[in-house]
Amino acid sequence: MRILLAEDDPILGDGLRAGLRQLGFQVDWVRDGVAAERELSSADYAAAVLDLGLPMKDGLDVLQALRARKIATPVLVLTARDAVPDRIRGLDLGADDYVVKPVDLHELGARLRSLVRRAHGQMQDTLRCGEVLLEPSARRVSLKGEAVLLSTREFDLLHVLMLHADRVMSREQLEQQLYSWGCEVDSNAIEVHIHHLRRKLHPDVIQTVRGVGYTMLRTQVLA
Amino acid sequence: MTQVQPGQAPLKSLQTRLLVLLLGLVTLVWLAAAVLTWFNARHELDELLDGHLAQAAALLVAQQNTVEDEGMIDAPSLHKYAPRVVFQVFHEDKLVMRSANAELQAMSSTTRGFSTVRLHHDKWRVFATQGAQNDVQVFVGEKIASRSAILWAVMQSVLLPLLINLPLLALAGWWAVRQGLAPLRKLSLQLSQRQPQALEPVVLTAMPSEMRPMVDSLNGLFERIEVMVASERRFTADAAHELRTPIAGIRAQVQVALGAGTDDAQRQHALQATLAGCDRATRLVEQLLTLARLETAPTASAPTSATALDLSAVARRVAADLAPMALTRHQTLTLDAPAPCTIVGNDLLIGVLVRNLIDNAIHYSPEGACIQVNVALDATHVVLQVQDSGPGMTEPEMARLGERFFRVLGHAHPGSGLGWSIVKRIAAVSGAQVQVSRSELLGGLAVSVRWPGQGSA
Repeated sequence: MRILLAEDDPILGDGLRAGLRQLGFQVDWVRDGVAAERELSSADYAAAVLDLGLPMKDGLDVLQALRARKIATPVLVLTARDAVPDRIRGLDLGADDYVVKPVDLHELGARLRSLVRRAHGQMQDTLRCGEVLLEPSARRVSLKGEAVLLSTREFDLLHVLMLHADRVMSREQLEQQLYSWGCEVDSNAIEVHIHHLRRKLHPDVIQTVRGVGYTMLRTQVLA
Repeated sequence: MTQVQPGQAPLKSLQTRLLVLLLGLVTLVWLAAAVLTWFNARHELDELLDGHLAQAAALLVAQQNTVEDEGMIDAPSLHKYAPRVVFQVFHEDKLVMRSANAELQAMSSTTRGFSTVRLHHDKWRVFATQGAQNDVQVFVGEKIASRSAILWAVMQSVLLPLLINLPLLALAGWWAVRQGLAPLRKLSLQLSQRQPQALEPVVLTAMPSEMRPMVDSLNGLFERIEVMVASERRFTADAAHELRTPIAGIRAQVQVALGAGTDDAQRQHALQATLAGCDRATRLVEQLLTLARLETAPTASAPTSATALDLSAVARRVAADLAPMALTRHQTLTLDAPAPCTIVGNDLLIGVLVRNLIDNAIHYSPEGACIQVNVALDATHVVLQVQDSGPGMTEPEMARLGERFFRVLGHAHPGSGLGWSIVKRIAAVSGAQVQVSRSELLGGLAVSVRWPGQGSA
């Protein structure tokens, strides 16, 4: 899952980026409000971690601007402002979660997963398409009850496809969701990962819609 | 609420004091009146009764002139008071008439006028007179005790009401004093029932004018304490708030290090970052403490350790300290302090002020910028000016500068926003004025600090 991190403190930002990466997130880090707004409006992030005391543009202003432009990306506000009125204002302006610093990395990860899950109308942590089961928190995948070992990219790709089950995802959409900045993306990288997934799981696990993209069906039955 | 300090005379209650004073004074006045009455009454009584004695003596003399010698007559005692009065009439040294209780010898050796004699066990007031031919000698005496009895009776009528009234007066006085002190008691009750945190002003309905200054100064004190407590609370809240970010950074980095697994480079990086985070938190705490110490320092009086010092020398020292940092940012740091400029201040604090100004200029100006530090003497002031070619500030930003934790947006440098508060505070403590403007010379920010001049040394 690709996350935007907006934090101006170099040590905290660096720590959060590294920590969230360890937890399997793709993290893009911006250090000011203007950049945060620009990135969130232009790219497809699964969620955002937003500090409020950002240079150039305050976090709450960024949030307000995003929501005004109907950008529904789940936003977790991570701030030192712990007063109740601040929290209320943050949530009312469109924050999906409000966390006061300092925060435990694992908790932050869980909250982000929860935000993404809710954004996709998911009730539980576990995603299911037919007999394929994916647990984002444990980063485990199983087919017909048997664990399947996947690489990080393969897992992330499967995760995105299952999150958007029954919807066709274009290659560009998948790339946007999978690769943070600075990642060298081969033009056929997605096809390669799809190929691997089909090999490791089942040839029919991912459907190709020619000229459009890929999809997984929630009710698929694999022979 | 009564507190007795050891080694100090216990303070009686105001009520007791007033009551004792009141009753004491009343008794004193009354007693003075009684003494006056005593002397007055005795004098009047003596005059009256002496008059009577003289009158009686005159009568006896006159009678003796008309009555022929018929031997000695013992006048009968006709009234129960008669034994208190005595008379003797001598004719040619022969006792011719006497009262029943009179002796045979002359009562007094004085032959004319008043005298006081002692007969048997009583003192007598005796009036002696003689007839025209000096053949008749009359003595009329009266027991002094009977006079005293009258006097006592008079005095009793004066003192008795006092004795009866004094307890009544004490009671009335107690009640009156108590009524009079009611507002004071009300105030003390209100104060004693106060929560320790309650700092709202004391409001008394129908407050006596004598209490107004006390209550007013009390309320003034409450107000000052409230301001102090509020600033203290805000400071604590701000500090706690401001420390969250470095702590969050340290926490995140430690968790990254813990989760690095076999990635040694990542662990190393995270641990280094943790260390940097600790340093930053430490610096922040130091700044907070400096500020806290400065805030409690009295503004009016200069710090105790203030001495005459050369601002140029301080600026040179600080600039030398900070020059390496400017160099790593490819900035040009220039100091122009040709002559020694003496100001009065605390060497350490002035150093902190200069350091903060130059440090800010370095950090908030981009790489390759110019920073110019001037120390100069104008007609009346010693002026320290720090200018830079950085982005400067807008008017509203300049106005908000020095608010605790206020940071100008748009800077990559993570400051705590405390530096300015410290600069402002030190300037206030050492009697200097701070001015922020756009630098004419370099286009960035220009900060001037002006001390009242001591002349060049």
